[in-house]
Amino acid sequence: MNSNRSGGVILQEKKLIEQRIERRNFKRGGEVSSKLKSILRKLGVDNNIIRRTSIITYELEMNIIIHSLGGKIKTIISSEYITILAEDDGPGIEDINKALEAGYSTAEDEIRELGFGAGMGLNNIEKYSDEMDIISSSDEGTRVVAKLKV
Amino acid sequence: MKKHSVLLKEDKCEGCTNCVKNCPTKAIRVHNGKAKIREDLCIDCAECIRTCEYHAKYTKTDELKDLKREKINCALIPPSFYGQFDENIDIENIYYGLRKMGFDLVVDVALAAEAISQKTAKFLSENQGSYLSSSCPVVVRLIKLLYPELLDQLIPIKSPVELMAEKVKRSVIEKEKIKEENINIFFITPCPAKLSTVNNPLAQNNSYLDGAIAVDKIYDKLIDILDDKDFDKNIEKKYSFENEKPYLGISWGQSGGEEDILNNYNKNGTISVSGIKNVKKVLEEVSRNNIKGIKYLELVACPEGCVGGILNVKNPYQAKYNIKKLVEKYKNEKKEKIMVKQDLSSYNFELSKKFKATDVSKLAADLDKAMEKLTALEKEIEILPGLDCAACGAPDCETLAEDIVNGQAKRTDCVFMLRKKVGDLADEMSSLAHELPPVMGEKKEDKKNNEG
Repeated sequence: MNSNRSGGVILQEKKLIEQRIERRNFKRGGEVSSKLKSILRKLGVDNNIIRRTSIITYELEMNIIIHSLGGKIKTIISSEYITILAEDDGPGIEDINKALEAGYSTAEDEIRELGFGAGMGLNNIEKYSDEMDIISSSDEGTRVVAKLKV
Repeated sequence: MKKHSVLLKEDKCEGCTNCVKNCPTKAIRVHNGKAKIREDLCIDCAECIRTCEYHAKYTKTDELKDLKREKINCALIPPSFYGQFDENIDIENIYYGLRKMGFDLVVDVALAAEAISQKTAKFLSENQGSYLSSSCPVVVRLIKLLYPELLDQLIPIKSPVELMAEKVKRSVIEKEKIKEENINIFFITPCPAKLSTVNNPLAQNNSYLDGAIAVDKIYDKLIDILDDKDFDKNIEKKYSFENEKPYLGISWGQSGGEEDILNNYNKNGTISVSGIKNVKKVLEEVSRNNIKGIKYLELVACPEGCVGGILNVKNPYQAKYNIKKLVEKYKNEKKEKIMVKQDLSSYNFELSKKFKATDVSKLAADLDKAMEKLTALEKEIEILPGLDCAACGAPDCETLAEDIVNGQAKRTDCVFMLRKKVGDLADEMSSLAHELPPVMGEKKEDKKNNEG
């Protein structure tokens, strides 16, 4: 556990889960989301926040599985925020603004036939988080940070 | 007043960990060779009764001798009860049989189930979002304990048993001009969980039931009465209570029955899930919003629905078949695909309270303290072998770690940890054994040094 001094208040910060997510491994989608949920329950986090965290984490997991070459999810909790960080190895999002629109998806037909990739992912993450940031480039892949106030 | 209806016969418990490993809420620990159920975690699902080879787990329900002569005794029949008889049974004979056994009034819960289906259909058409059925008390307790984030999705309507019990009580008191304490309502229960709701009602201040009698406690007597050639059906009906024979509502006794009826009303998607492991899997998906396009989920904890309740007599698949046949028979008699015409306003569907979370998973009251404890828990998990052998009496290493952090267990409860500790001690003893008292050692050392 790390302690940071910010404005005279000691902020406790703790890494919760860090897990590698494999490309196209649909069966394991949701693992981080479930694990995180059970940890947050142990920490006594509010049920509504747990639900939103659960949805966001699952969307981020599925985005890495469906759209990327693979990546990882890291989750951190402090006295103020739950932070979910998703980083992948590419290929990057061409038009972020478009990707944030509801229903927009670049998923291939093959994926859509499986019932995944109907869009809404990023849009949902934005809707359920208190802060969200997304950086993407074709060289370095995509990095999404979603924060929820505790 | 017991909180739970699933109990242990200590003398029969062999201290094996079958129940511990099969408990869906990890509520059981074996200590001192006997299984102990943690009351705050038990949801009365009876999985332990199902898995115990030694019949050490049981449930204590009321019995026929608990009927009080001076009171009006009412029996409520669950839909699943009809699955215990073959298709040729006339359900009116069951009413007569139960009256002969001492019940003054016999009422069919299937009618309340039909009413609930209509109410649910209306609720679903008027409300956005997707909903979970709240009829199975085990499912409700499971959600309260492990999925509290889904409490708002539980449909806020009484269960069929409570709905019917309330109506019967209200009507009889009014018609017979008697006091409430002079009527006792008994549910003929297929499961221990319904019995628990008598003392521990869900989202209500009080249950409208006064007791519950297990199906297997009355079945043989009832069969004897029905088989008797001189069976006299002309038992005087002492108390009048409108009770038309239900038929569609009977299908509620099996998984998918509620869904079938609802589909007559709603074109929205419904699914039915039975068996507690399956229910848990689906709730996990609902929690992350990965159940899509479905408006209503019928959830029942027992395999194949209430026919799978442990207090039943017949195999659930046979019972399912019997119910299917019986419903078909009545359908043909009535030649219509409608339900019994009932005045829905005669029921009081509303729950007096909200469904509340069972808050027991918290490690500490405030977040900072809980985070510290979580770090300790992670370390403990790292130390334990991760074999999940359950020899410590907890279902898996993670649970033991949690018990250790919460001061309810010791690290050496783990046989591998104990073995290691004994090994380390032995090593230390052996190395100590080779050491000499300082005076002697120094002399020897000195000699060597001097010689060198």
